[in-house]
Amino acid sequence: MAAQLPDVALSTPVADTPLSAVPESGRRGRGALHSLDIWIPAGFLILMIAACYLWPLVYHMPPPVGGSILAANLPPLSPGHIFGTDPVGNDILSRIFYGGRVSFEVGISTTLIGLVIGGLLGTVAGYRGGATDAVISRVLDVLIAFPSLVLALAIAEALGPSELHTIWALSFYSIPLFGRLARAATLPLGEQTFMLAARVSGTKARRVLMRHVVPNILPQLMTFALLGVGVAIILEGALSFLGLGVPAPGPSWGNMIALGFQTMTSQPDLVLIPSAFLCATVIAINVLGDALRARGATR
Amino acid sequence: MSTSILEPVGVGALGPGDRATAMARTILRSPSLRLIGRRLLTAIPVLFGVTLLAFIVMNLLPGDAARELSGINATPAEVHALTIKLHLNYPFWVRYGDWLGGALQLHFGTSLTSGVSVTSILAQRLPVTFELVGYGFVISLVLAVPPAVLAARRPNGLFDRIHLAVSLTGLSIAPYVLALLLVIVFAVHLGWFPAIGFVSVSQSVGGNLRSLTLPAFSLGFGLACFYTRLLRADIVEQMQSQDYVVTAQAKGLRPSRILVRHALRNSLFGFLTVVGVNLGSLIGVTVITEQIFSLPGIGYELLQAIDNRDVPVVLATVVVFAVIVIAANLLTDLLYAVLDPRIRYGRSAA
Repeated sequence: MAAQLPDVALSTPVADTPLSAVPESGRRGRGALHSLDIWIPAGFLILMIAACYLWPLVYHMPPPVGGSILAANLPPLSPGHIFGTDPVGNDILSRIFYGGRVSFEVGISTTLIGLVIGGLLGTVAGYRGGATDAVISRVLDVLIAFPSLVLALAIAEALGPSELHTIWALSFYSIPLFGRLARAATLPLGEQTFMLAARVSGTKARRVLMRHVVPNILPQLMTFALLGVGVAIILEGALSFLGLGVPAPGPSWGNMIALGFQTMTSQPDLVLIPSAFLCATVIAINVLGDALRARGATR
Repeated sequence: MSTSILEPVGVGALGPGDRATAMARTILRSPSLRLIGRRLLTAIPVLFGVTLLAFIVMNLLPGDAARELSGINATPAEVHALTIKLHLNYPFWVRYGDWLGGALQLHFGTSLTSGVSVTSILAQRLPVTFELVGYGFVISLVLAVPPAVLAARRPNGLFDRIHLAVSLTGLSIAPYVLALLLVIVFAVHLGWFPAIGFVSVSQSVGGNLRSLTLPAFSLGFGLACFYTRLLRADIVEQMQSQDYVVTAQAKGLRPSRILVRHALRNSLFGFLTVVGVNLGSLIGVTVITEQIFSLPGIGYELLQAIDNRDVPVVLATVVVFAVIVIAANLLTDLLYAVLDPRIRYGRSAA
């Protein structure tokens, strides 16, 4: 998206390129180390999600908005405010946890919508071929060529900025990506014997799709989906950064970075703390996705 | 194409004019050209769809352009007059047709806020964005290719592991976060580069490069991390499984030479397609980069135009973005077809 964001650039599905078929041969772990590359990032993510959703329920925590101006601009490690407070007196740790909820919710829902709708469109296009394929492919092309930032901006302007509308806007980005990926994964299946057998024996198209095509392409889509969550989290931050995601007083990592951007020279930690959480989360997601993909390739 | 093109041509009995026709036929028969034709044909509906979608989206926006433009103190009569002047009272399809007709002749109307012709705005803004993208792209290639080769030299070696860690981090860092970090370190603390602003080439070449270095780096670094991983994986694959590598080894060539002259060369083909497709999407990334660094490029213009509800500018910008993405894809396909004959004759995959 223009937001394609930026991120966008990195998110082109790799799977339909000749390069992608290459297993990362370096990553076949052995013995006890075998699953460390999965458990470390997965553990970190579970910890993050638990912190965002459970911590505020279990421990007392100042609310993420409506802080007192008397407690504004406290430096990190102040009593009661581990990360300090922002220029309007909100506790930063609390904003990090509540903002993390936004990131996880947007990242996961956007990816799920893309996976289901895009995956379905791509599978049908790849399976049916001909005119169906041409029409669906062109529609996906239009969505890819259309600057998604404009779409996101338009949705934010027309419906008002909110978390839900951010999800809609980003779905226009994830749907064509998964669509293309699913189509590329379905195409080679058409030549396989089991597909021919299914068709010759008179199986209905819907059943062929659900019982034969989907189980075959799902693993490939799923590993990409994990990477997609990372990209969506970055994009959500970008939209919030531009003031088009979660509206201003509400917490979101992108918002916090944008707010800190204004006082960056005097208080760099206002930018650095949310950035660190954003990056650590995305790194964990990418490492996990990578490890799972390597595992899949070895199998 | 007519069937006559496929008929064999007897060269012996031809005059000069006939020879020209024969050449024309040969060219027309070229599979690369046919591929171009096929791809251009599919690009048309896509471009058309983009303009239609853009028009619909801009129409869905709340607010009345005529009312906003004429200011708070305007009388209803003035608003009405402006509505008629802007043709806002016409039905959707009529307005779309008018706009499309103009756009086909590259007349995108005039900006609602400044009154300047949109074409001249684009002409002024695009070079900045192109320079930024070009610079970022060069940085990404420089950062991607040599480390990929070094890492592929010894898979799982020390350098390979560092390479993996750095590239994974770079892939995960959001471009805007990277941009802010660069500003904090290199502009605020070290003062090597300006934090914001743009110096045009005509003012000062050095100043121009300095003002674009941080934005270009923030754009290019993430891309480099993506490229370098793909390239490394592909080179490793080539080195391990390709017969030509065995042949080269058997001939007694130095490993570094095999790596660079044989494996890297072959890997670059596949690499090219990824790079091309990405170059198109890079244009979207520039929006936020230009915003952070206050660069007067097309992305900056787009955000302003959306803020001001400047419909002609937004529409033209959307078209420009779409054309760039489509053109990048097209060029990629063509380059690939020209470089790899196997593709030319096959059914196009996309």
